[in-house]
Order: sequence, then structure tokens, then C-alpha cells
Amino acid sequence: MSDTAAAVRAGRNWRLWAFVPLILLTGVVALFSAGGSSITGLLGENPPPADEFDIRRVEFHPGEIRIRVTNPQRDDLTIASVTVDDAILPYEVDGPTTLGRLRSSEIVVQYDWVPEEPISVGVTSSTGIQTVEEIPAAVETPTASAKSVFGYALIGFLVGIVPVALGLLWLPSLRRAAPEWLAAFMALTAGLLTFLAVEALSESLELQARLPSALGGAGLVLLGVASSYLILTAISSRLGRGSGGGAGATGMALATLVAIGIGLHNMGEGLAIGSSFALGELALGTFFVVGFMIHNVTEGLGIAAPLSEGKRVSWERLAVLTLIAGGPAIIGAWLGGFLTSDLLGVVFFAAAAGAAFEVVVEVARYVARKAPGGLTSPHVLLGFLAGVAVMYVTGLLVA
Amino acid sequence: MPKFTRKGLLAGAAAGAAAAPFVKVAWPSDAQADPSATHLGHDHSHAKSGHAAMVGPDVPAPGGPNELDSLLLPGGALPYKPGRVRTYDLVALDRTIEVAQGVEFNAWTYNGTVPGPIIRATEGDILEVRFTNGGSHPHTIHFHGIHPANMDGVFEIVEPGAELTYKFPARPAGFHLYHCHATPLKKHIHKGLYGAFIIDPKEPRKPAQELVMVMNGYDTDGDGENNFYTVNGKAFYYAKYPIRVSRSKTVRIYLANLTEFDLINSFHLHGDFFRYYPTGTGDQFEYTDTVVQTQGQRGIIEIDFANTGLFMFHAHQSEFAELGWMGFFQVTD
Repeated sequence: MSDTAAAVRAGRNWRLWAFVPLILLTGVVALFSAGGSSITGLLGENPPPADEFDIRRVEFHPGEIRIRVTNPQRDDLTIASVTVDDAILPYEVDGPTTLGRLRSSEIVVQYDWVPEEPISVGVTSSTGIQTVEEIPAAVETPTASAKSVFGYALIGFLVGIVPVALGLLWLPSLRRAAPEWLAAFMALTAGLLTFLAVEALSESLELQARLPSALGGAGLVLLGVASSYLILTAISSRLGRGSGGGAGATGMALATLVAIGIGLHNMGEGLAIGSSFALGELALGTFFVVGFMIHNVTEGLGIAAPLSEGKRVSWERLAVLTLIAGGPAIIGAWLGGFLTSDLLGVVFFAAAAGAAFEVVVEVARYVARKAPGGLTSPHVLLGFLAGVAVMYVTGLLVA
Repeated sequence: MPKFTRKGLLAGAAAGAAAAPFVKVAWPSDAQADPSATHLGHDHSHAKSGHAAMVGPDVPAPGGPNELDSLLLPGGALPYKPGRVRTYDLVALDRTIEVAQGVEFNAWTYNGTVPGPIIRATEGDILEVRFTNGGSHPHTIHFHGIHPANMDGVFEIVEPGAELTYKFPARPAGFHLYHCHATPLKKHIHKGLYGAFIIDPKEPRKPAQELVMVMNGYDTDGDGENNFYTVNGKAFYYAKYPIRVSRSKTVRIYLANLTEFDLINSFHLHGDFFRYYPTGTGDQFEYTDTVVQTQGQRGIIEIDFANTGLFMFHAHQSEFAELGWMGFFQVTD
């Protein structure tokens, strides 16, 4: 009896004991901080701060250039001099002139920039360190207006919703296909999702490298990937239970998961297109848009494949799936066009990668259960490879 | 922050597009008396653009009025008197100086300024320059001119805390310079150890309004390229505070180039021509409005202004001009 009571008490006490290391840590930190820079005194001098600004965004408006700068370092950084094409110019600062860690300000310079010509802007700190950003071609930055909101929505619609909707039209054909061919198409879905996941992961890692080191890091990418993977796993088990599948999502539930994974990816894609265009880094030619449509039409096929067996699916449901998969491209284009944040880009692409990986696992489980010959049948293996290859080849169209 | 109106922008752009907007500026005898006169009728001073934005009190330049007078005005020449001793005290000091508005530079200086003080003597004077090294690195003073080998400031390195007196006769007449010759030479010069050295001829030059201009540059971020260019050490200083001269008297400029990293520097005068005497050693001159000097080259410029008004002078390398080497003469009757 007393043993059980002790066990119960011990069970409660573990929470209290868990605080002990934290309390001790606080004490040690306080002692060390009070001691000042005594370790530095033993070892030598700290290196001077880099004093370089992070030029986050350069906007071109009629007769005016706006430069958004962030202080990426621990020490304060003061804006002292601003140059455009190696000429010192008077400027105004929207925000503080002396920036604390990770604080930002916008520098406004009156300047008759020449459209479509290369231009460089430089910001010099009070310690004389100049940070220069080279812009390959100055292009007027779109401002938020009814016209540009519609324009970005149209981009998102064309590269997101239209191809997914077209791809879903493969459904009637898939419904008549033989089971091994269905398995092949499911494997193709897994292949293209794997391609999207790898692409999103690499995009995310690339973007985080551009962030100030205090914000970036591969850990941020992992956090995004893991969160979205686990959230989608939770959603999948719920949907699976709902549809009575038991051992994983099938049919409509699986199609929804695929749509979510693709949607997150399209959000990142919209973000990238929107911000590249806003910053004058991207020409939105017919070829580019058409290329994206061809690239993304296979995404519709991916959603259609799990729907090809079982009950007929209503048009309304198909429309919802199209919106889930393609709609985020519009939101992404707006975010990218008007906000442009590399941080947002990192998070979206990481989330897209995590979601796509999760859906690949779902599809693999489905194929393992349903396909004649399981995961290792030639139809499945070739289907997967075909999925990757199709994405790679159509991806060349937008490169 | 004040909002820019589209209307204000267009007005500013139009002013910038005018052929020579700064000529239209009615420069008041006292800039403070009627500031609106410099604004070309704009409501906001920041609506100005182009050169019109780069003259007068709004110019981003460090320092207050008359702060550079000791580097600009060489004082008078003394009459010829062979054997007279002229003594100068130069102290090498590590100083953080403001070279462009808000931009600090860790300089090595003679007597706390870049360029260092003007040294002036008449031909035949005996110069005694007592040099104390108050800096943290070994330095010297190397004078251009004719002097004994052991007064050349090349082998006689002065360690921090040490002292050395350079003693030699002042010759030949002309405009020269002095600088540190410790190694690494490039570092010791671009950090700021140089100055103007005038030797007046036996026969005095004709009276003039005399000015000294030492052209230099600063590499503030250590990438081997200058970030700022100036005359007498502060970017755009003479754009903010135009040099006032009178039309009735010759303007004589002792011009030297001590710019490190760039091969040449230059001086260009607007609206007039001048006589240029290379090194100031002879009577031969070129009548021109632009001269080029490599590092260490110098000469004397004599201007007889034909007109009154605001006249720009600057390096005719546009990049140098727009990185600080630009100023104005305010010519009055």
C-alpha cells in the first residue's frame, strides 16, 4: 500500500525534478553574464563585426528607388551613405537609421533610373563598410492595385488551377483502365510527388542560405518539413478513419491528401513566380506560362489516379479538389508579388516538401495493398520512374 | 516620413533634366538668409534632384562651416631671406575621422587631420620639421624636394613614441608634398599620412587669393577600392560650403593628388579657363579647364574669373565626382 503511494508521489514529483537543471542553468548563465567578457580577456580580442547590411528588396517606382535593409548581426548598424551606380545620393529613411539586430528600414532615394538597364545600389554603414546589390535589370515594381491583384491571380490561375483541372479530365479514361495500368498511374503519381518534394526541398535549402544566419539554417527547413509531414499524417489517419479504410487512406481521402500536397507545392511555386516577377528577375513570357501549365498538368493526373476506382465522384468534389491543389498558387503569387519574404519562401517550400513526402508514403502504402504484384511489379517501378522523368522533362520547359 | 507626391516628383525630375539647374540658383550672399531661393520653387527640399540637390546646406557632407580653413588657406608667403629657420611640429596620431556624412574612417594622420597641415617655406629657408610618432605604427616623413639622403624619410624609421627632426634647405621653389614612406607604403598613404608642401620662389608670385586642394580617396571597407573621394579630406564639403572668391583678384590653387588605388585624379573647372603650371616650378603653363595628375603629381592653377556666380569644380572622372570630389566656387564682385 505504502509502496503504491510512494510510486504515485514519485510519479508526481518527476515534473518538479525536471525543473532542477533549468534552475541551475539560469544560475550559471547569470553568473557568467555578471562576469563580463572575462573569457575574451583570457583568449584575446573579439573580431570586429562585419557591419554589412542585408539588402532584402529593391523596388523601382517612377523617379524613386526603395531599398529595404536588415541588420543581420548582433551589434547595431547605422545607415550612413547610400549610393546608386557608385554615386552618393541624398536619401530618406522610413524607419530607424540605426538598426538593432534583425531590424529593418526602408531607404528612399529619388532617382531617374533607366528601365531595363543593370543598376547597383549600395548602402554604407557608419563604419564605412559598403554592401552592394547588383540588379540585372531595373523594372518598375508592381504596386498593389486592383489591376496587379488581378494580374497575380491570373498567373496563379493559369499555372495552378487550369493544369490541375485539365489533368483531372484523365479520370474517365483511368476508370476504364486495367488494374495493372491503374497501379502504374498511382506509381507515376508517387514519382511526380517525389520529384516535387525534392525540388521543394532544394528550393527551401537554397532560400535559407540567403537568409541572415540568425534566421536561417537547415534546422528551419527540417522544422518545416517535419511539421507538415506530421500534420498531414494526422489528417491522413483521420480521413482514413472517416472513409473506413482502416489501414490507410484510399479513394477520395487519398486524392484529398495528394491535392493538399500538390497545393502546398503550388503555393511555393506561386510565391517564387510572384516575387521573381516583382523583383524584375523573371520574364513572364507565353513560353514560361505554357511550360508551367504542361509541367503541372501531370499534377491533375496524380489526383485523378486514386479516384479511378470505387464510387463515381461528383463534379463539385472534383472542383473542390482542383481548388485545394491549384488555388494556393494564386495566394502564393499574391504573397510573393506584394511581400517578398525569403523567410516565407523557406517555410512554404519546406512545408511543401514535407507534405509531398508524406503523400508519397500514403500512395506507396495504397499501391502495396492494391496493385497486382505489389510495390515491385514492373508497372509500378516503371510508373514511378516515368513520373519522375515526366516532371524532369516538362520542368525543362520552365528552366 | 514625409510622403512624396507624384506632382513633386515630376517637378524634381524636370529640374534635374534642365541643362544646368545649379546655374539658375540665385545664391544669396548669406545662404541662411533665404533658403527658399535654393529650392527652385519646390515646397520640399527633398524634392530636388540631380546637381540641384547637391549644393548648399542640404548636401550630405560632414563638418561645419570653416572647419577645413587651415587645410584650404595656406597663409602668406614670407619674403626671401636666405638662412632663415622655419620650424614645424608634426605628430603622427591615430584618429577616427568623419570622411563622408556619417561615415567614420580609422585614419593615420599628421596632427589629427587628413590631409596633414600645410607646410610652407620660402626658397633658401632652412626647414626644421620636428616629427613625433604618437601613433601605433612606425612612420616617417618623406618630403619631395632637394635634400640630403639622410633627410629623405625612407631609412630613418620613427618608432611609436620616438622623435626625429628633419632639417634641410627649402628648394626648389614650387608646389610639393610630403608623405609617410614606411611600409607597406600603400597602407601608410591611404590611411592618410600626407600633406601639401609649398616652397615660394625668391621673386614673390603676384598677389592672389590662394587656396590649397589635396585630392584623395578613402577605402573604408578595405577592398582595395576607394569608397569616397574628396578634396581636403571631406566628401562634398565644398558643395555644402562653396568657396567664396572675388572676381577682381586671381585665384591661385595649389593642387596635388594623393589618391591611392586609382591611377589618376583630375580637376575640372566649370564656366572658365585657367593657367596650369606643372609642379609650379616654371613659367610654362597650359591654358585649359581640365588637368590630370597621377599620385604625387601636383601643380599650380591660376584662375581669373570672367563671371560671377556659382561655378562647379570636380574630378572629371564622373565616378569620383559623384563619390564626393565635387564642389563650388561662389564668385562675387
